[in-house]
Amino acid sequence: MSVSARDVAQVAKLAELAVDDAELPALTAQMDRIVSFVAQLAAMPDLAGAGTFLAGPERSPLRADVVNPVLLARPPAAIAPEFVDGFFVVPRLGALDGT
Amino acid sequence: MSWETVIGLEVHVQLGTRSKMFCGCSASFGDAPNTNVCPVCLGLPGALPVPNEQAIRLATRAALALGCTVHERSIFARKNYFYPDLPKGYQISQFDQPLSTGGRFAVESAERGPIEVTIERLHIEEDAGKSLHDRIPGKTAVDLNRAGVPLAEIVSGPDLRSPAEARVYLTTLRQLLVYAGVSECSMEKGSLRVDANVSVRPTGQRALGTKTEIKNLNSFANVERALEAERARQQALLEGGGTVAQVSLTFSAVTGQVKPMRSKEESHDYRYFPDPDLPPLVLSRDWIEDARAGLPELPAAKRARLVVQFGLTAYDAGVLTSDRGIADYFEAVTAAGADPKSAANWIMGEGMVGFNETGRFAVVPPGLAGLIALVADGIVSHQAAKKVYAEMAVSGGAPRDVAARLGLVQVRDEAALAGWVDEVIAAHPREVERFRAGEIKLLGFLTGQVMKRSQGKADPKGVQPVLQRRLEAK
Amino acid sequence: MSVRDAATAVGGRLAAAGGLNAVLAWSDAALAAEAARVDALPARGALHGVPVALKDNIVTVEQPSTCGSRILAGYVSPFDATVVQRLRGAGALIACKTNLDEFAMGSSTEHSAYGRVLHPLDPERVPGGSSGGSAALVAAGVVPAALGSETGGSVRQPASFCGIVGIKPSYGRVSRYGLVAFGSSLDCVSVFGRTVSDAEQVLAVISGVDPLDPTTANRPPLEPQSPPASLTGTTVGIPREYFPADLHAGVRAACDNAIATMKELGANVVDVSLPHAGYAVPTYYIIAPAEAAANLARFDGARYGARQHSDGDVRALYRATRGKGFGAEVRRRILVGTYVLSAGYHDAYYNRAQAARARIAEDFTRAFASGVNFLFTPTTPTPAFKAGEKTDDPVAMYLADIFVCSANLAGLPAMSIPIGRFEGLPVGGQLMAPPFAEAGMIAAAGVLERHLDAAREVSP
Repeated sequence: MSVSARDVAQVAKLAELAVDDAELPALTAQMDRIVSFVAQLAAMPDLAGAGTFLAGPERSPLRADVVNPVLLARPPAAIAPEFVDGFFVVPRLGALDGT
Repeated sequence: MSWETVIGLEVHVQLGTRSKMFCGCSASFGDAPNTNVCPVCLGLPGALPVPNEQAIRLATRAALALGCTVHERSIFARKNYFYPDLPKGYQISQFDQPLSTGGRFAVESAERGPIEVTIERLHIEEDAGKSLHDRIPGKTAVDLNRAGVPLAEIVSGPDLRSPAEARVYLTTLRQLLVYAGVSECSMEKGSLRVDANVSVRPTGQRALGTKTEIKNLNSFANVERALEAERARQQALLEGGGTVAQVSLTFSAVTGQVKPMRSKEESHDYRYFPDPDLPPLVLSRDWIEDARAGLPELPAAKRARLVVQFGLTAYDAGVLTSDRGIADYFEAVTAAGADPKSAANWIMGEGMVGFNETGRFAVVPPGLAGLIALVADGIVSHQAAKKVYAEMAVSGGAPRDVAARLGLVQVRDEAALAGWVDEVIAAHPREVERFRAGEIKLLGFLTGQVMKRSQGKADPKGVQPVLQRRLEAK
Repeated sequence: MSVRDAATAVGGRLAAAGGLNAVLAWSDAALAAEAARVDALPARGALHGVPVALKDNIVTVEQPSTCGSRILAGYVSPFDATVVQRLRGAGALIACKTNLDEFAMGSSTEHSAYGRVLHPLDPERVPGGSSGGSAALVAAGVVPAALGSETGGSVRQPASFCGIVGIKPSYGRVSRYGLVAFGSSLDCVSVFGRTVSDAEQVLAVISGVDPLDPTTANRPPLEPQSPPASLTGTTVGIPREYFPADLHAGVRAACDNAIATMKELGANVVDVSLPHAGYAVPTYYIIAPAEAAANLARFDGARYGARQHSDGDVRALYRATRGKGFGAEVRRRILVGTYVLSAGYHDAYYNRAQAARARIAEDFTRAFASGVNFLFTPTTPTPAFKAGEKTDDPVAMYLADIFVCSANLAGLPAMSIPIGRFEGLPVGGQLMAPPFAEAGMIAAAGVLERHLDAAREVSP
């Protein structure tokens, strides 16, 4: 299974990453190399019937419903690139409506 | 060609917790923007989510109230997409293994009678923040106070057959969830949101037609109107030989029209996978049963019981159970000794005026019960009692004292009654003549005059015999 | 030496070591403030006055955290990582923030937006990665200990290259709250030390359950132990898959010497097999990028970090910010991660990798169940390679992790200690233990350390 330039462009759109046309061929070659490498996993004979590996605890601890937020050492305004009247500000959503 | 409409609804309700789903920030509504935020709900690098036990308990209660199977083990999943008010670039939700599935919910359809709507799933997720597109020209302003607030998503099966049924489903669902103490369910405050899926098919066809999704509906009335508009649009399209495209739509309350949402990419590949930051949600059977025990008597059961226990009509039981506060008040008033039917009438009349404005009943249950007894004993007339009620609503007090203070205690003393009767007979000789000549219906008029002369204080039941005797005597 | 003097001395050493490019943020003023803070503590903690360096993907309120990326240039976190609070509580001096492969993605620290880190013994070579900055500082004697992070061996591998100790605890042993997430089910804050004891002391302080991280195990902090006198009563497993016929001769010689030493110390050395070992790297390079793609979606220039100017709507902002703000390796991993999760590929890649992970973990469970206390293997297939040697082919770089990434996949505690030199370059030996059995592993490492001359040149 090989990765095409169209695949890369499509995935870049999903990941909101700009890829300009000049970079696309080299990037496609690298992606194809990586994906072909990991695809060798299909050769593992006993994939079927494997359980699920849980890295962490068997069950999540739960938090009591108390208002006790972690306090910020500096407010949102101090870390935001653009902050007006208490709001984070970004360029307007253009061709896409709210979902 | 006759068409059948097929409707399914996805409802998101905010679970009534104090803090957010995955962090200790306040979940309250209406605070200054970006003041209820922390590293977790801001999606700052290095922050991690920790689930809110009460949110899970409320969602479990809702699932049980809807007859769902609550799964002891469920998994949080990441739903991946980009949007200005989604701080992490993914929403923590549930996908493959949700909290609950397989419920059934009874709804009274005007067209079909009692119907059962399947609840495919109820799962837990976090809310996104709020994007304001019109606040600053050319920009979108983002408030993350709401980001991370706990939601339950309730997905019905495609079981509704008309826009009216959809509306009844929503009002019945809302009532259930408010009763169960799960959510405030206020569309104005954004604690209840509805997306509607609708398709049409020729009557008798088993296969479903292509469905469209209507989003961002802001009232139950608009849900019904939007579905009516979309049903009509799809039918017209199909009758004209066209096909329905699977699109997302919005509804304009102003024009009454639906239109497609302006989207470059229609389909979203959310790339769901189990959230590696959250171990499985494991609830013991005991914990689930404990959540069930926290459910109050639900509307349908309460309605049935009121009919049986108090002999109310189905209609009255329906009104009295429309809100748990009303039902509780009714039962307190009857417990204080009032006759159930009278209590029902007073509450549905005088009581609701105040309740609709303030959300509470201004007259304490023993007070209303006492007032009802006064009327039953003839000590105040029904008309006078309304004035007594109004005064008690403002300044409290025992009913008899208030009636006396207002001078509304009915007079039954024969001598006093006779005095007024004589005055009226003297003042209306022609009517008296006509009565004695056989126009017996003038008794009502003359009784009314006695009431007037007594400024309403005469007990009408006592007036009639006295008047009759006086009229027959001369 | 007073804490004030210790702080000043660290400042001097940091200044002198500037050529390594191992540090992204430090200042004399910050060190002085740290010293004052430690002096004001009511009691002497376990790390009183000890300078500790922090990898720059561990967030701090006092200094910026860039994760080695342009997209976080100038970002100063409004909260401290739990591990930072615990170090401070024990009286440690936070010395500086260290350079790393961007967002911890790499095995050489050549993928930092702020330049590569030099190997302290040979400026043409890499110190390993992604925690290369922390490793270099400890190896150069600037600080006795440093925190790094591991997702696929990013502390053990540089420890091996630089000739120091690197310990990765069990997954869930140390809080990740404040560690910028890369592969959430794999990430572990880990420790470098000049000696096993240095590293152990720091690990003990930072370990233990954290209510802010639900993936931490409900266990108390580790307690440092004094190592036993010998390895009598210990069974060491040698997995044959980690000693291929074409293993680098110098690495093999060093390992053979270490194994012989273990036998002399009374260990029972047995042969074991981890049959799925060959699938570890492809499994890792599906799961880690998938989780990373989601974890890095938050970096969009909207709420924090460096925003790229763009004429257009908000999506144009995202694409420009992320396209320019992320380096080439990060972009590749985000794209691979998005690809393996996307509709049509999700089952063939992501789901398959999860199944493979389960099989790999089972191999270890079986090996340990047979009575083995810990496993011993080479840490890396070769000593430190030259800068530029593996940057043309991403897969060549990935294969540098071939011996270390299994422990991350299986959540096991693992560590590297220096076991010799080959042509002047350090060689590391790796120990791996069952889940939450760090203490025994670290104790055995301590014994070995006493009886091995890490500076000794091996001859194949």
